[in-house]
Amino acid sequence: VISSRYAFILAGGLGTRLCLLSERRAKPAVPFGGKYRIIDFTLSNCVNSGIYDVGVLTQYRPTSLNQHIGTGRPWDLDRTHGGVQILQPALGSVQSDWYQGTADAIYRNLLHLRRRRSEQVLVLSGDHVYKMDYNVLYAFHVANRALMTVAVTEVPEDAVSSFGILETDRTGRVVAFKEKPRNAASRLASMGVYLFDRDSLIRWLNEDAEIPESTHDFGKDLLPRLVERGAPVFAYRFASYWQDVGTLDSYYESNMAFLTENPPLNLSDPEWVIHTQSADRPPVRFEPGARIGRNLIANGCRVAGEVVRSVLFPGVTVATGAVVHDSIVMQDAIIGRGAVVDRAILDKNVRVGDGACVGSGGETIPNRACPDHLASGLTVVGKSASLPDGITLGRNVRIGAHVTRDDFTSDVPSGGVVDGPESMH
Amino acid sequence: VRQTLALVLSGGGGERLSVLSAERAVAALPFGGKYRVIDFTLSNCCHSGVGRVGVITQHAPTSLHDHIGAGRHWDLDRRGGGVMILQPYLTRSHAGWYRGTADALAQNWDVIEDITPPRVLVLSGDHVYRMDYRALLLTHQQERAAVTVAVTRVPPDQSRRFGMATVSREGRITALVEKPERAETPFASMGIYLFETEVLGEMLRARPVDMVLDVIRPLLAQGRRVAAHEFKGYWEDVGTVRTFYQSNLELLAAEPRLMLHDPRWPILTRDEERSPVLMRDGAVVENSLVANGSRVAGTVRNSVLSPGVVVKAGAEVSDSVLMSDVSIEPGARVERAIVDKFSRVGEGAWVGGPAGPADPELAWLDGLVLVGKDADIPPGIRVHPPGVVGIGARAVDFSAAALPAGTILPNHAWFEDVT
Repeated sequence: VISSRYAFILAGGLGTRLCLLSERRAKPAVPFGGKYRIIDFTLSNCVNSGIYDVGVLTQYRPTSLNQHIGTGRPWDLDRTHGGVQILQPALGSVQSDWYQGTADAIYRNLLHLRRRRSEQVLVLSGDHVYKMDYNVLYAFHVANRALMTVAVTEVPEDAVSSFGILETDRTGRVVAFKEKPRNAASRLASMGVYLFDRDSLIRWLNEDAEIPESTHDFGKDLLPRLVERGAPVFAYRFASYWQDVGTLDSYYESNMAFLTENPPLNLSDPEWVIHTQSADRPPVRFEPGARIGRNLIANGCRVAGEVVRSVLFPGVTVATGAVVHDSIVMQDAIIGRGAVVDRAILDKNVRVGDGACVGSGGETIPNRACPDHLASGLTVVGKSASLPDGITLGRNVRIGAHVTRDDFTSDVPSGGVVDGPESMH
Repeated sequence: VRQTLALVLSGGGGERLSVLSAERAVAALPFGGKYRVIDFTLSNCCHSGVGRVGVITQHAPTSLHDHIGAGRHWDLDRRGGGVMILQPYLTRSHAGWYRGTADALAQNWDVIEDITPPRVLVLSGDHVYRMDYRALLLTHQQERAAVTVAVTRVPPDQSRRFGMATVSREGRITALVEKPERAETPFASMGIYLFETEVLGEMLRARPVDMVLDVIRPLLAQGRRVAAHEFKGYWEDVGTVRTFYQSNLELLAAEPRLMLHDPRWPILTRDEERSPVLMRDGAVVENSLVANGSRVAGTVRNSVLSPGVVVKAGAEVSDSVLMSDVSIEPGARVERAIVDKFSRVGEGAWVGGPAGPADPELAWLDGLVLVGKDADIPPGIRVHPPGVVGIGARAVDFSAAALPAGTILPNHAWFEDVT
């Protein structure tokens, strides 16, 4: 009997730099690419690689993620044996507590490995957009007799400071590791995709749990310690597209990349389908007089106005005379008659009133509340916010989730913020 | 309704649909971009709370079976009940193709008897409509009827397409005439019957063949309570080229009579996991339905596109129905055509257009060009309307640069060319 492979997917991250988009949902649940959620790519990689036994570790605002995954149907993960299991922080054993770091999260779920006899354990992140056949990673791992294999991708020189950077010898063995170095001799960044020898992983996690000064993180603690000690850690070079959709700007850019002649990922590859929870929606409806350009538009949309260089998620309505340019509009948002939306990200269920203007003028003052993440001219409107008729929002504006028409007293200039009701939590 | 057993007659080959139903049941025909015709009936069952559904198949059932699977998409994958396929079968004593609608029920009497539902709802898989069968049941119970027939009003000139029912003031059916030239009554039978199981069993013992002639007529003659339930919504039998084409294009109306996405009554289907629609610079799409997975660089007007259709730069599609994965090459023109799955219209080819004077022999084509599955229309070819390009047609079938109006190219099996 071939023992079945098992993968943990870390899906508890905060995604702080995604600002509003991950304020009320975990980063893996952030909508992406016109109909997907970010975690769809990793889940699809698992099943397309033949891994049908998956544990998803959640912690930060898991509701929307839990709803999305459900019983795992779209990925064929609703199974009698294996399938998908949500592993939330829980009480009930001596070790019960919130997950402190990535390694700690796995440590607290080691009991799930007890009856899973496969020799290796895959540890993935739910935050990344990429298509990867994990079988190749397994083959590499076994061929090198590695106890840990880290998938790495080459990043530009100026980006090394945002990644864990590895140096390898000629055989691919990792000889040095630096977490977010100012500068480095190598440009190989860890993708947060790890394949472990099962028993070694258990040993290492037990050991790490005993170290009081450890932050219990794979990148910060475990990996440097193993490399220093000379453990057989190998780097597997992954040459295709991989994107950690970390910031609002990179979120915007990587969505827009799907509109180019050569999109970074083929979303319609019958050999590697990206599965997702698709609601039953009718085909896209283009009304008489609709004007369109280069776009990605999902089922359930209704377009009567003009849509150019934009990504529309399922169920978006663009009313007559409305104009949407260079924007990302999520599920069921409604753009009123004659409204203009330019370089904006509108979250689910946003209502843009008739004649309103979102993203207007040439002024680009960084956002007052989050100047670091919202300064490139994008305007972001949170989930279910409602914008009154005729209002004008400048660039770099942030409108909070659930803001109502009455929360506006005047137009919002560049860099402005309108916050809605405080979240109960 | 829970206890009701629904039997969906889906065995029809729809001879009048030519190449479109040569290799599939009418019920499995793609409709409205991403649906199959049977989705409407199955969704009605699901939303009405009918939990046991038998789908009776006979003609080219494979694509129907594939589509229905275990019934997941209609929440009909159940431990008790759910959906089951009832195909023709042999026994030691008889060889059993279904000879007619009533015969199909009679041959499945064992199944009905095993379940012993209080009532049997007889439906057709060839209709597009949204109907709450609970309303039908209510009428049936109020009338304490032996059988209740769903009827709908049709214009007088349509009576020759239907069985026309004379309805008394009390809502009872007194006569049912098949396809009369002229009818006294506006009510057409929809082919939807709710039977008391005992009554159905009694009638099936006489080995009936046809539902109207051998079951309903005799019941009327016996003076049994046959009630009429008037259905007022949109309803269409898509068994002809004209009705299939028109009901597809009617979805493009500003207020379509058949709503596909009423959140209270969504039409459920086996959703293919396809990417969102991708549009290129220069794409023009107006008054059309375009399903996920399509890629448009050319022009699309007044048309319905199924998943995965590719319309390349400079191609023009108008007033047409294109099924899954059809490819329209650069500069090609498709007008007033129905193009079946996987077919390709070559560069610069021109298929269909305004129809010339109608040849009565070809009236059934309604001036359209039908292109069968897997056909490959070579570059530059002109196909005049009306006409039929057979399943699997390829270069050798097109001896001239133009097919004159009324041409019907034969079907080919894909393995003919394998040497």
